Amino acid sequence: MPGTPLALEVRSVTKAFGPIVALSSVSFTLQRGEIHALVGHNGAGKSTLVKTLAGVVSPDQGEILVDGTPVTLTNARHAQAVGIAIVEQELSLVPALTVLENILLGRVGANFRSRADDRRQVQGLLTRLGLNDVRPDTMVEDLSMAERQLVEIARALSRNARILILDEPTATLGEREIERVFAGVRELASAGSSVIFVSHRLGEVLDLCSRVTVLRDGRMIASQPAAEMNRQSIVELMLGKVAERSAVERRDNKPREGLVVIDQLSVPGHVRDFGLRASGGEIIAIAGQVGSGTSEVLRALAGLMPDARGHVSIDGRPMRLGAPQRSIRAGAVFASNDRKSEGLFLHQSVARNLLATRLKTVCRGGVVNRSLSARLAQRLAGLIGFDRKRLGAAAETLSGGNQQKVFLGRCLEKESVTLLLFDEPTRGVDVGGRADIHDLIRHAASTGAGVIFASTELDEIVDLADTVVTMFAGRITRIARREDMTATDILAEMTHGEAKKAAA
Amino acid sequence: MSLSKEPSARKIPVSRRVRTSMPYVLLAIMCAALFVLPQFAGRQASAFNVYDALQLWSAYGLGALGVGLTMIVGEFDFGVLGVFALCPMIAVKLGETNLFLGLGAALALAALVGLLEGAIVAKLRVHSMPVTLGFYIALLGANIAIGNSQSVSFSNLDVGSALDAAQFTVFSWRSIIALLVFALVFIVMRFTRIGRDVRAVGGDRRASRMVGVEVDRVLIGVFVVSALCSGLGGILLAYSFATALSNPGLFPLQFAVTAAIIGGVSLAGGVGGALGIAAGALTLSLLQELFSLLAAPTYLSSLITGLLLLLATFIAAPDLAARWKSFRSPHPRALAGVVSRVPQPAPK
Amino acid sequence: MTGVNSTTGGPAGSPATGRIAYFHFATLAVYAFVAVLAALIVFGAFATPGFLSISNLSAILTSAAFVGVIAVGSTLIMLSGSLFSISLGTTTAITAILFMFLLHYGVVVAIAGTLLAGTAIFAVQGALVGLIGANPIIVTIGAGAIQEGIIGWLSPGDITPPPGANIEFLARTIFGLPFSVYVFLGLALVLDLCMRHTRFGLEIYLLGENQPAARAAGLPVALLTTAAFAVAGFCVAVTGVLVAGFAQNVNLQVAGTYTFDAIAAILVGGSAVTGGWGSVGRTVIGALIIATVTDMLLLVGASTGMQIFVKGLIVTMVVVLLHLSRRERRSP
Repeated sequence: MPGTPLALEVRSVTKAFGPIVALSSVSFTLQRGEIHALVGHNGAGKSTLVKTLAGVVSPDQGEILVDGTPVTLTNARHAQAVGIAIVEQELSLVPALTVLENILLGRVGANFRSRADDRRQVQGLLTRLGLNDVRPDTMVEDLSMAERQLVEIARALSRNARILILDEPTATLGEREIERVFAGVRELASAGSSVIFVSHRLGEVLDLCSRVTVLRDGRMIASQPAAEMNRQSIVELMLGKVAERSAVERRDNKPREGLVVIDQLSVPGHVRDFGLRASGGEIIAIAGQVGSGTSEVLRALAGLMPDARGHVSIDGRPMRLGAPQRSIRAGAVFASNDRKSEGLFLHQSVARNLLATRLKTVCRGGVVNRSLSARLAQRLAGLIGFDRKRLGAAAETLSGGNQQKVFLGRCLEKESVTLLLFDEPTRGVDVGGRADIHDLIRHAASTGAGVIFASTELDEIVDLADTVVTMFAGRITRIARREDMTATDILAEMTHGEAKKAAA
Repeated sequence: MSLSKEPSARKIPVSRRVRTSMPYVLLAIMCAALFVLPQFAGRQASAFNVYDALQLWSAYGLGALGVGLTMIVGEFDFGVLGVFALCPMIAVKLGETNLFLGLGAALALAALVGLLEGAIVAKLRVHSMPVTLGFYIALLGANIAIGNSQSVSFSNLDVGSALDAAQFTVFSWRSIIALLVFALVFIVMRFTRIGRDVRAVGGDRRASRMVGVEVDRVLIGVFVVSALCSGLGGILLAYSFATALSNPGLFPLQFAVTAAIIGGVSLAGGVGGALGIAAGALTLSLLQELFSLLAAPTYLSSLITGLLLLLATFIAAPDLAARWKSFRSPHPRALAGVVSRVPQPAPK
Repeated sequence: MTGVNSTTGGPAGSPATGRIAYFHFATLAVYAFVAVLAALIVFGAFATPGFLSISNLSAILTSAAFVGVIAVGSTLIMLSGSLFSISLGTTTAITAILFMFLLHYGVVVAIAGTLLAGTAIFAVQGALVGLIGANPIIVTIGAGAIQEGIIGWLSPGDITPPPGANIEFLARTIFGLPFSVYVFLGLALVLDLCMRHTRFGLEIYLLGENQPAARAAGLPVALLTTAAFAVAGFCVAVTGVLVAGFAQNVNLQVAGTYTFDAIAAILVGGSAVTGGWGSVGRTVIGALIIATVTDMLLLVGASTGMQIFVKGLIVTMVVVLLHLSRRERRSP
């Protein structure tokens, strides 16, 4: 309708963090009552854009207009006041409080409505979102991840958001729940609010949204009506090229067939019936979006999931799950996807970090042998391409890439290691560092150990893996050799595996 | 009609039921014990014993409320102990000339201490334990200094008798005051926005900040209130005995922490309330009363209190479930015959 | 959602200018505080009558010794991330009493038995903390109460050593310093070396710095925690033996202010309360600082209460200033 101001207009927004340009002159528009999809592969700039709209980050250039008026969003409260609400992947619910209390928490203004009014409103929201057996007085602690996600959405709705941004809201939801979320979102849209739906799941995107904006490398590549697009075209826009089958030479020597056998591995609530065979020297990628269970599989194998069940054997010997030391004794080492809180000892020196897991080998009678440690640290530093002169620096002073190299370097060159488990091995690492780390991984595999890594980076998967296992909603959707799949295939499996699942 | 892959948790889980009802169940057991057990020793529990227990409860219970509130908000306050000792000293010393001057000054001091501690913990983001420990030592030192290393007697005995005079058989003005304080805190915690914010900050500080809760104000407020409660408890005790002790020792801390934990306060923060703490404190008070009635030696009460605390801690330990599950993880059998079942990549 | 003001800002995290000024202030404040304290001590040394005498200096060391032994052992608990124990004093008392009892069987048995008991008492608490993640403060409060109860049960009064017990050596003076001072310094040296050069010591530091990372790296978290507590218990028992040798009778009062004095020594030494940073050497310095300041106050005629008050002030200020300076030095 001409004359009606756009609900939201983003004009040539640019944002850089130091040398990294996250958004480069991105523009798009959002009509009233429109459900708009924002898609793009990792690093494309989606989350930066979302943070900009939420007021968490200010753009370096460009402007944002809400209902035709330019706004400067300096903080989250300001964004809330302007009518923008976000539902993030990382939930902001306090488990110890009830649903009602969480929804009312931190609400700006309107503190004097009666409790009965509040309760009625919340109950209404819950019913609208299909949470029929959730009462306002239910404790959030008792809700499943999916239900919590819906409560977060309810909270955003209760703030009378005129622009609702949903960031990967369905990653942990099942089909029926997704339907309910969609129903709620559609209702919201028909009442005049606008929705930005950020997702990797293209089937849902095409189902729900009327327009799609594709970002790639910080740029807006396309912004078109969904009716004019299909999954294939979106994927190609996301990747930027039509990927061909890569003719890559297979590394042939496969000593130690069946080095690692996994059968019926399950983690309640995350992974169901995972099975895999890996050979020594083989690099296996587990590809799946957040919430599909890829991390959990690795963590279960690492012994960090106490309720994991299943059969795992390494080098013919059965491995007991449930404690990290059992996995290490069985020859499996793990590097988590969060090197800061679960990996590196940031205040310790690089040398100490490198040796953290093998202090036994550099000790004689319990006492750490200086020269042994120094020699081992230097050798490892050389292996990972780290400047030997900086071995004494504290780990926190390193760049992301170097930190990750040190973190992964810990797992290398250990005699009894048969299985290396890497969760997002190049997270937060720039292109150069990425190449180095990939070389490291290949080297590790060449020593005869098996490598299983989880990743959401297509390039990485295509580059490194011999075998690709795709996962969706906790189950394996496909296992294939890398040369039998293109990047498009892999992404397709990761993003709309449910079609395959339904068909299977 | 569950929505999720997991079994519906619509029924409140057993562990939570246990935790929320534990304070009251324990209290009921203790009441029963108080009236039943002495029979075996040929004695009888009377209304006086209940009165006596309530007297104990009104002093140390308020201390428990202080410590408990800081635990609910996710911190730990040793300073509460110091205030429990110092406030009565100030109230007694200054109260020689004018009762209300002493009372007012003491409570003002409590509020000031709470304000300082809260400000340091909230604004400077310092860990509450070492800082409040420093406060405790300083306050204890001040207490000893003011009293010249001795306990100080209070010449105004009328206040004490007025406070202690039995009302409605088992109560006294002292216990009624304590009851009112507990009731006030209970109402605020359960029914107002402030109470909800306190639990939010204790339950998940990051999320609360994210959502717009004024975390700093909440923290400071809790520290102030807890210091006031504890100070009042100590003052009431001092008036009653007409003495301010130079060093009350570890007993108030032991009592307060045990009362809070069996009263349902979770160390993780965000869980617990005034009612539970009151029940926990009453349970402990009745226990003390039971011991004195049975003429049991005093060491027994320390022993039982310690055991109760350890038991409660064990049950509430965060890693208990995980360790148990890990322990129960089945020992693997060899995977013979399974190999063929495991999926292989489809051949080219 | 990380705000612009959080330390994890954007990928290349640039500090806001306001924080740089803050950073300088906090570190400056620490240096200023240390300088002032040092100046005070030096000034006090010359101004206070009787301070710079051998007998006074050895008195300082002596008064630091008993608490110091407990403190250096308990440092391991703090370094491993388990904060501190509130039952240090109580266990000192119970080990002192136990030592007196065991003297009936001879000195060697008494010492061995006491050390074993102290180690075991603390190891059990450490196991609870390490295995199931129980809160160390609460566990030690509970264990302390239980021990108080046991003391009351076992010893209805003062315990004296059996006649003829050969324990004079415990209180003997060698080259002007009591035996306890040598034990203190010797133990501190051994523990410090151990923490810095053995695998055990390094693993404790790693555990204290980042427990989830230590766990994921396969370090035996429960075992390390238990061991840290066990070492602390051993040291507490050593003090128990020394105290018993020093006093002619022991009872619960022996516990005195050991608990908070030892914790104060560790905190004033500057080790991080959350673990992973600090050292046994720092604790020795902390103990000496407290002993020195207390001694100076004593010489000037300050009351016991005043001494304790100043001690509390020092602890609070050191904790706050060090925290601020460390926090600012850390963030990019």
